[in-house]
Amino acid sequence: MIMTAIEEQLQKIKAQNRLGLMTHIVVGYPNLEESRRLVLAMAEAGADFIELQIPFSDPVADGPTLMRANQESLKQGTTVAQAMQLMGELAAATPIPLLFMTYFNIVFRYGVERFCQDAQQAGCAGLIVPDIPIEEEHREHFILRAKQSRLSVIRVISPASTERRLRLNAQHAEGFVYFVSRKGVTGAQANLDAELAQNLQKIRQYISLPIAVGFGISQPEHIVAIKGTADIAVIGSAIAQTYSGAEKGQGIAAVCRFIESLAAVL
Amino acid sequence: MESIIIKTSFDADATGHFGQFGGRYAPEMLLPALEELEAAYNQAKSDPKFLDELSDLFKNYDGRPTPLYFAENLTKKLGGAKIYLKNEGLNHTGAHKINHCLGQALLAKRMGKKRLIAETGAGQHGLATATVAAKFGFECVVYMGEVDIARQRINVFFMEQLGAKVIPVSHGTKRLKDAVTAALQDWITNVDDSYYLLGSALGPHPYPSMIRDFQSIIGLEVKEQIQAQAGRLPDYLVACVGGGSNAIGLFNDFFEDKEVMMIAVEAGGRGVDKPGEHAARFQTGGAVGVVEGYKSYFLQNEDGQIQSTHSISAGLDYAGIGPEHALLHDQKRVQYTFATDKEVLVAFQTLARTEGIFPALESAHAVAEVIKLAPTLAPDKIIVVNISGRGDKDVFIVAKALGDKAWLEYLRREAGE
Repeated sequence: MIMTAIEEQLQKIKAQNRLGLMTHIVVGYPNLEESRRLVLAMAEAGADFIELQIPFSDPVADGPTLMRANQESLKQGTTVAQAMQLMGELAAATPIPLLFMTYFNIVFRYGVERFCQDAQQAGCAGLIVPDIPIEEEHREHFILRAKQSRLSVIRVISPASTERRLRLNAQHAEGFVYFVSRKGVTGAQANLDAELAQNLQKIRQYISLPIAVGFGISQPEHIVAIKGTADIAVIGSAIAQTYSGAEKGQGIAAVCRFIESLAAVL
Repeated sequence: MESIIIKTSFDADATGHFGQFGGRYAPEMLLPALEELEAAYNQAKSDPKFLDELSDLFKNYDGRPTPLYFAENLTKKLGGAKIYLKNEGLNHTGAHKINHCLGQALLAKRMGKKRLIAETGAGQHGLATATVAAKFGFECVVYMGEVDIARQRINVFFMEQLGAKVIPVSHGTKRLKDAVTAALQDWITNVDDSYYLLGSALGPHPYPSMIRDFQSIIGLEVKEQIQAQAGRLPDYLVACVGGGSNAIGLFNDFFEDKEVMMIAVEAGGRGVDKPGEHAARFQTGGAVGVVEGYKSYFLQNEDGQIQSTHSISAGLDYAGIGPEHALLHDQKRVQYTFATDKEVLVAFQTLARTEGIFPALESAHAVAEVIKLAPTLAPDKIIVVNISGRGDKDVFIVAKALGDKAWLEYLRREAGE
């Protein structure tokens, strides 16, 4: 079987005996041109995967930082078509796998099949859509359509997931599994969940694919802490915060320094 | 009392789908909690002890049954069909919302939860949640959009007096849908000890079915009352519809009575032609989508971004509608129409002057439809309209809309003290 771009990247990371790094942007925040530059700069600085979040008006799994970024982007008039176009430009310009993250209404409204086809054509490697559970697959055929377009559907699991749900998700998972480090929404936190290591050990019994850990990861110390138990560290809100917290015009440089500091301890 | 659990041909299937609508489109973080809730509810609703306890609360705490009242003066004034008012405004806390709050609070107690989370638009659901929290000894957090807080200060004050914490929601449109998002996020974070007490017949499975069940008491009572008073079933049922809880509660026990026609009235706001000016999902701008955990009709743009809404009544100011209503609409079992803000104010005044009853602005939408419908029908026809809540809470909005100078002076004087 031919390896997907995500699998190839995972293999490379494994061969280097290190943790992978997935970073994140909200498409169109603060504007499309900055989004484009930011992704290219992050890829340069050491990101292994980047999530391009298509903004949505009601991002239920996102905390205040990313909710604001979604809202700001929509205020700029960002459209799904623009996100597709940006994916196309960026996938052609960087060798690392780029994934779309969004909410199911965006995919549904676009048309599940057409969304998967257009995303794949644009060079997208995988999809992270947190609000489409496997239980609805027989109606929506989201995983099926993604597969037909050779897109990996990244399953999201949480500390609340029951044994039955872990098994169910494991059956359908591709590429890697996204483990939410704590009960809550996205957002940078000072400390990692105290039970994270224990939870990771538990889910390892059910998940054979590499595990990405996200939600609340914001510092090199966090990365050091999950080394050995996780395979990929996901940094989302902390990137947006670093960008918007920098002096005007210095956002991208600040994000690059931040990513380099993380990459140094992977 | 008959059991509130009624089976109809519009019920959801075992996985919570009403035809293509409904379902459970929630993030993984919430799925285990929804499974737990479903199991607990299935157990509770077949437990006679649970249903008896609820029935006792309905009667002795809430004041049920609420009256079905023949509005003779309004009937005469409109000169057509006989109009009966189901006066849910006489419930404890002033609206039908207490029905599903009592049911859910009992369930939360049964599940061993310590804390209630709720969202609210007009504040009626928040008030009812804060009330049952006080009664049952739960900690209570209510999320409310900043726009709604500004226009429903009375309910905010009373919720706080009842011991609830009212948290202003400042993201998005700062209205009901954003309060739902904030409440869901709280639940994601505090899923172990908290119960999300949803305020309408919507959201992920099992909420739409469960809330409909608790609200079905409205229609069950109407059926008995109209038989006793008129000796037959009504020809029309009319109710306002935001998320759809009072309408589904009135309609549910009549779905299999094919001769009974049903009309649900959406918020026409300042007119249904422009997006952002109304909340009428079945008029213009509504399309099938998947938001806040369920599939239904939502006011949204081509990309699937949820549109802002407007209504004079905070309780109907919502972009989505319960999934069972979506099915009822598509199967044409219920006719969906709208009333504009202006018509609603006229209806509010008309009911006050003719019958001495102030309807909530939400319920005044249903009255506005009756004002249009009744004169077109013969005098032997019967309309039952759900006055889902009373209008005291709307004094600020109505007085302002009517430009009452003395009221404005009163506000200034009070504020100056």
